[in-house]
Amino acid sequence: MLIGGFLIAILFVVIGVFVLGFANETLDIIAGLFGTHESETWTSPFPDYGIPGLEDNPIASLALGIGITGLILVLTFLIGWLVTRRKQKTS
Amino acid sequence: MHIPDGWLTLLMCIVFWIISLLFLVVAFWRTNRTLTEKQIPLMATLTAMIFAAQMVNIPVLFGTTAHLLGGPILATTLGPFTSLISMTIILVIQAFVFQDGGILTFGANLFNMGVIGTFIPYAILIGFLKLKPSKNSLIAGGFLGAFLGDLLAAIAAAIEVGLSTADITFLGIGLLTMTIHHSVIGVIEGIATVIILLTILRIRPDLLKGTLPKIESVDYGK
Repeated sequence: MLIGGFLIAILFVVIGVFVLGFANETLDIIAGLFGTHESETWTSPFPDYGIPGLEDNPIASLALGIGITGLILVLTFLIGWLVTRRKQKTS
Repeated sequence: MHIPDGWLTLLMCIVFWIISLLFLVVAFWRTNRTLTEKQIPLMATLTAMIFAAQMVNIPVLFGTTAHLLGGPILATTLGPFTSLISMTIILVIQAFVFQDGGILTFGANLFNMGVIGTFIPYAILIGFLKLKPSKNSLIAGGFLGAFLGDLLAAIAAAIEVGLSTADITFLGIGLLTMTIHHSVIGVIEGIATVIILLTILRIRPDLLKGTLPKIESVDYGK
């Protein structure tokens, strides 16, 4: 399940990077029309899903997307494992 | 649907941070009692899939795009509390790593996508299954729940931003356009949710037994 799910997730990343990567969300458009400005309280390492200096390189974006997707898979697995492990100890 | 910093008043940010943290505490407490070890791979897989699916910007209407919420898929397979934890992981990565959604507005984003986007779909699906535990109820409840979960999460975001701008015109236009546009993506969300639900029911129905009541009596046509 983990491998199959991860492969499907990679497929989404590929589609997101190469086919349907352009974002033009409704709320952003309306906010722009009404002069609502975004403020920056945090400087993220990869703003807008791109590697600084390699924003126009789709291979770099693909590698980043796959890497972070893998990180989320492992992180969620660990959190789920910790939650159930603690239950076993307390019961 | 991710609200960036600067769009909401500080008061609204604080209120939603508190509300979302309370939900999250309860979510960890409940998940501690309900999540089984065999559900962990499903939780991890779906969370990664939803994150990746949110990178896909689907063309909706008039040149605009929207992405799947994913909360309904998580909620109807893992339950709303576990899915709130999954959505938190996704939103934390999106906000802190990709600047997709703000830090101050994180509470509001978590409330919209993690609470509304999961509890509403789950409640509707449970309602349908309690009325009649059948495959048709599963399809209808799964679809309607996902559709409304997506739509209401978008409407909530529009209301929050509209109230923060204190501009009644913004509120009106925001509500109208978000309702129209997210009705479209809501249909896609509904179809995706039903497909995932039926797939899991077909290959691993045991994973849904703790999440969906009376699921054992559903003839899923295996």
